[in-house]
Amino acid sequence: MKWLLKVIEKVRPNFEEGGKLKAFHPVFGALEHFLFAPSAATIGAPHIRDPLDLKRFMSMVIISVVPCVFAAFYFFGLRFLAMIIVSYAAGLTVEALFSIVRKEDINEGFFVTGILWPLILPPTLPLWMVGLGVAFGVLIGKELFGGTGRNVFNPALVGRCFLALAYPKQMAASFLEPSHDVAGRLLSWVDGSTADAISSATPLVLAGRDEMVATSHMFLGSVSGSAGETSALLIILGGGFLLLTRVANWRTVAATIASFFALTAALIASDKIVYNSMPGVFGPAIWHVFAGGLLFGAFFMATDPVTSPTTNAAKWMYGIIIGAVTVLIRNFTGYTEGVTFAILLGNIIAPILDEIVISVRIRRLRSEG
Amino acid sequence: MRFRGGHNVLLKGRPDSAIKVMPEPKVLYMPLRSERFTFSDIHVKDGQKVNGGDILAKDPDNYSVPMLAPRAGTVRLEAVENHIVIEDVAQREERADIVEEEMLHIEKEMGAGGIKRYKLLSLGAWQFFYDAFTGELPDPLGTPQAIIVSTLSLEPFLARGDVQLHRRLLNFTRGLEQLQSLLEYQPIYLAMPNITSEFANLIRNQIRGYAWVKMLEIPLKYPYDNFAVLARRLDLKAGKGPVWAVRTEGILAADRALTETKPCTVRILSIGGTGVNFPSHLKAIPGYPLKRIRDQHVFEPAARMLNGGILTGSILSEEAQGVDVECRGITVLPEHIDREFLGFVRPGWDRDSYSGCFLSSLRKDFRERMTTALRGEGRPCVACNYCDEVCPAGIMPYLIHKYLYADLIEEVEQARVDLCVECGLCSYVCPSKIDLRTQFVEAKDLIAKEKEEIRQEQLRQEEARKREEEARKQAEENNE
Repeated sequence: MKWLLKVIEKVRPNFEEGGKLKAFHPVFGALEHFLFAPSAATIGAPHIRDPLDLKRFMSMVIISVVPCVFAAFYFFGLRFLAMIIVSYAAGLTVEALFSIVRKEDINEGFFVTGILWPLILPPTLPLWMVGLGVAFGVLIGKELFGGTGRNVFNPALVGRCFLALAYPKQMAASFLEPSHDVAGRLLSWVDGSTADAISSATPLVLAGRDEMVATSHMFLGSVSGSAGETSALLIILGGGFLLLTRVANWRTVAATIASFFALTAALIASDKIVYNSMPGVFGPAIWHVFAGGLLFGAFFMATDPVTSPTTNAAKWMYGIIIGAVTVLIRNFTGYTEGVTFAILLGNIIAPILDEIVISVRIRRLRSEG
Repeated sequence: MRFRGGHNVLLKGRPDSAIKVMPEPKVLYMPLRSERFTFSDIHVKDGQKVNGGDILAKDPDNYSVPMLAPRAGTVRLEAVENHIVIEDVAQREERADIVEEEMLHIEKEMGAGGIKRYKLLSLGAWQFFYDAFTGELPDPLGTPQAIIVSTLSLEPFLARGDVQLHRRLLNFTRGLEQLQSLLEYQPIYLAMPNITSEFANLIRNQIRGYAWVKMLEIPLKYPYDNFAVLARRLDLKAGKGPVWAVRTEGILAADRALTETKPCTVRILSIGGTGVNFPSHLKAIPGYPLKRIRDQHVFEPAARMLNGGILTGSILSEEAQGVDVECRGITVLPEHIDREFLGFVRPGWDRDSYSGCFLSSLRKDFRERMTTALRGEGRPCVACNYCDEVCPAGIMPYLIHKYLYADLIEEVEQARVDLCVECGLCSYVCPSKIDLRTQFVEAKDLIAKEKEEIRQEQLRQEEARKREEEARKQAEENNE
């Protein structure tokens, strides 16, 4: 790969101070450092560094959603590829524009948002809405706060929240019954205009009418829902990988799912939620864990290190709030799905939770030494 | 407090326990500066002949701690900047005794305890003592609330206690006894590795009879051997007086000074790191020419030589010609940096990472060949919390970083940046490559300076008030 490095060195002057394409230096820098590790060295103690950098950190998230991405291809067809491309194109444009204006490097954070974004959308959503939503999410949810590391809200969820409020009809009508063929829809394109695209209700909508989808179907993923969230099995697989690499913190995940499960079970046991077609307490509670976007949100959205609390104690509280609020929104409001709102609410509360834990720790530190 | 955080950085180039005796040098270069000391008060003249053990210079800011001539020779003051050069170095150590009269005088003035302290200071053993909380040189005439003795050196790579104690265990226990005789009832804590090696058992057996030595079995995790961390682990409070802290070489030096009344000049250093062909230990004297060490041990053409360990050591600049008096080890790291193609997507079987993001986390512990590469670009903090997890002091590095970024010095102080032990682990693990350690060191300096300024200001005000009062009194008297 020496020749490529030579090419980069050759075109470099164009992008530096005084070059013709100086404005595009962030784009050039991002590309260069994507291809080749930077040559910087430490200047003082400590003289060595851990091999982990932010690129690696973020690519772990991308690897962990690969199973979900393949599942989305399998269940909903090639159109999903178009959604990914649109998502990256629109989001990267916003990101690059801001980098150029701010004269900062392009951050790796977007590559994660770009792949998570189509996974939380209904599979036949018009492509222009995919682009608009991600642009809105990155612009309002991230760049206005100062870019990666300084955002308060998860950009993908800000985009989804925007779409859910601005285009509720299209969002609700863009769900698609996944393919039940063995070959799936790997070679077919299904969007709103195609004949076999019959908008199908998600399990949570059906549950409102007391029509419960079998839990096993939801575990494997052959149910209607957002592109990446249908298969609980693959989400747990990818999420488990993310926990093992310690990019995501297990405390958030455990707290979210546990509090969700506990509150749902408690509500069912006290007859606040009644499912005639599925008796018992734990059956419907487990069903709820697998339904909708809870697992996807718990593993991939709530664990975003930037928007979740930093301290471990606050992560527990954060997870508990997300789990509990999701139950409340799902069962007692007009919305059938509440994970997006619950996590955004958690994002708002996260700094306060951190503040509480930090003040306790600082008080304890005061008596030291 | 219990131990928290910590992380062992595993890299190639760990010195083995062999001790190589360096050939006798012809010229010695004594640096006038070391980590803690600046020997500005020079006691010798250009061209003067000195004996081994003669005082070359003193540090007036640190209780006049002396720099001793390790060998006899002729002094050259101007030959190399910031160094005292000793030429025509004698092959064998020649000893200059403390003058008998002086001894008698001191004994009369300070008593038996005083003379011991005087010996420690003037025979070069005192420089191995630290104040556990600040890391500074403690007052030799003060009374500590406790002494912490550590045989561990967990930072890669510094001279190891078990190597330094090789065949000198008796000297060590005798040194402990000598130290104890300086104290009244204060305890001596001996930090030991919590493993059952032959060597550790040997020490345990030796120490068992001493009721005044309290054994502390320390897990072998960096930086649990740090004196500030140990002091906090022992619940010693800075307000109750100083805590003396000393490592193996200090105990051996104290034994030599107090039992034999001989200066301690020969020391055992480590030479390790990825850039060294045979990482081992060296028997050398202060002032030993670095060039000879380099020629003999370093094979990398572009290598960074460090005075001290990899995480806290300082770069030995081109100017430095000799081993300084505080040097505990020399570490060499290659500077050569390969620009890897698509490095961040490689599986990483051969990378040792704190996180689990590399395939190597499936492997047993192994040692990586590391260079000085930053291995990534600087990025804003993403609040991954790794720095908090590894911090042995229990402060929140990301939080202090955030405060510093916003210039909130008061909050930085409240977040107890002063508890930072400067172990460097937070900088090491940071995926955003933020230089947290440097920031904290600077912040600590800034806060200390501000406090000093406030103190000075208060003194000035006090003085002004006194003068005013006096003037008023004067005026009243005049009126009467």
